[in-house]
Amino acid sequence: MPLIGTLDVSSQAASAPLVLEPNTEPWELLGAGHLQLMFEIDDSHMVDLLPPALHPTIPPTLLINVLHAPKSSVGQFTLAEVRIGCRSGGRPRAFLAQAYCDSAAAVAELRTRWGYPVTQAEVVLDPQHHQVLARVTLHGKVLLDCALKGPEAINGADIQYLPNMNLARMMRNGAEAVRLLQVDADYAILKADRGRPTATVFVPEAWAVGGATPQWPVSASYATGTVTLPRVRYLANPSLRPLEAVEAV
Amino acid sequence: MKFGIFFEISVPRPWEAETEYQVYQNCLEQVRVADELGFDQVWAVEHHFLEEYSHCSAPEIFLTAAAMLTKQIRIGLGIVVCVPQINNPIKIAERTATMDLITGGRLEVGTGRSATWTELGGFGVDPDTTKKTWDEFVRILPKMWTQERFGYEGESFSMPQRAILPKPFQKPHPPMWVAVTSPGTEIDAADRGLGSLGLTFGGFAEQETKVAEYRRRIKYCNPVGSFVNEQVNTVNFLFCHPDNETGVKTGLRLAGTFNYMAEQLLAARQAYPTRSYPNLGLLPALRRESSAPGADGGAPEGTCIGNPERIIQVLKNWESVGVDRVNFLLNAVETVPQEEVLASLRLFASEVMPKFASTRSVVSAGAGAI
Repeated sequence: MPLIGTLDVSSQAASAPLVLEPNTEPWELLGAGHLQLMFEIDDSHMVDLLPPALHPTIPPTLLINVLHAPKSSVGQFTLAEVRIGCRSGGRPRAFLAQAYCDSAAAVAELRTRWGYPVTQAEVVLDPQHHQVLARVTLHGKVLLDCALKGPEAINGADIQYLPNMNLARMMRNGAEAVRLLQVDADYAILKADRGRPTATVFVPEAWAVGGATPQWPVSASYATGTVTLPRVRYLANPSLRPLEAVEAV
Repeated sequence: MKFGIFFEISVPRPWEAETEYQVYQNCLEQVRVADELGFDQVWAVEHHFLEEYSHCSAPEIFLTAAAMLTKQIRIGLGIVVCVPQINNPIKIAERTATMDLITGGRLEVGTGRSATWTELGGFGVDPDTTKKTWDEFVRILPKMWTQERFGYEGESFSMPQRAILPKPFQKPHPPMWVAVTSPGTEIDAADRGLGSLGLTFGGFAEQETKVAEYRRRIKYCNPVGSFVNEQVNTVNFLFCHPDNETGVKTGLRLAGTFNYMAEQLLAARQAYPTRSYPNLGLLPALRRESSAPGADGGAPEGTCIGNPERIIQVLKNWESVGVDRVNFLLNAVETVPQEEVLASLRLFASEVMPKFASTRSVVSAGAGAI
């Protein structure tokens, strides 16, 4: 049967966001710009970056997502995520390893409502006509410098976005427990481009991905439109095997 | 209606030499038994890097071994990936002609383009180009087989004039098919006079519409080969057992295991934004439909699992919507013991096959030659 993750999440559990009410209202982010880069990673990290509830993709993949929301209920913000491509049972998903966001208010929303392991940092998304740049800086150190190069227009429907699996603490059956929250964002795309992905700076330890680095470029896309973070409907117990792990909220 | 068997050659972990050896031996035994029982054809896919799901990267070698163990069953190479980074078209023409010679004219050639990033990325293929290269390959292969010397200047492939040898045993050449997974590929098949090697079946109603459109359009086709191969071939799961409940239960386990393995792979569309891959490939509808409960909440309506009576009814339905051939997946990562696979084949041959006319092709190549 397919490989499963071996990541022991107990060490991350204490610092995982606390989500008191997963049945949160959707959050609509109008006029958002969203950069997505996909890379293959070394197969030595095929299983050690995922908990046992998730299968790795074949080949193992790493996704960099940078979202700029010019308008939201807490004002504008930019969010950068590094995720590991995976399967929850047979469903395509991405395990969120680490995120950074430039707005303290947005950090609070993302942590407490959707379980994002997100830290405040300087995050910049810079769409240009010949490239789309993204950069994350924390205390003066660049953690990520990446880009989509050579954009060409495509149909937004051709971009596939994977729902997040965010590790968080929450109350289950009257006790605190660690769960993966499935965050299946909705994308209404007005305009989209694709191009070549590049990552000139990537600090693995800052993104909680061990020694994994973006090794082999796969694809890059940049889309504008409305992104809606949804009401969470499904959870997964990270310690159980994939077919036993999924729970309804 | 004709029946065949279809191999992905899926191998469970751990991949010790003995494991892969045993799976290959089991598959070869299944072909030998199928030939003895009167099955019409055996197909083997070409896949690369698809862990557990398919260890069938050299189907021409597997099929050659199968041909040497059998006398009558037709040999389906399918599909050969028509992408220059994976297969040079000269090599395809040479290998297939050789296979046709040593099988005494039993070869059928399926064509396709691969549907996973796992494979395309592994060979450095741009997913945007695969439909184009497939189209180019299917137009030049018949000429390579039939012209004494062949030269070509094309988009993805060019060569000066050479004699591509040997030439196929079947004249003018073996029947050609195209794998149909993406919506609209059945139209591509019809317009080129190719057989539709359906790797999805959808529901009966959906398939009936597709078959009708295929039949309508192929009447006006511009054939790429020397003859029109108007046939509709589909894939299904098979587990036939005297007890319906046991048959359905084991069949669902087979289908579920296969589907689960397939879902772990990285489809081209999931990795790379392109219009070239409008769906996920790799038997997606077969996976979906074979897992959905039937109208009575029991076995999926179009899946050939259960007792002979149920399977006969399912196949009569497929026959009524215009399907000419059904190829069966028999196992997935050895989830069904070999003796049960063989018993299922034998029961199918004794109880189901006789209910359908014409189970063995007499001549395929040249039928409808133009």
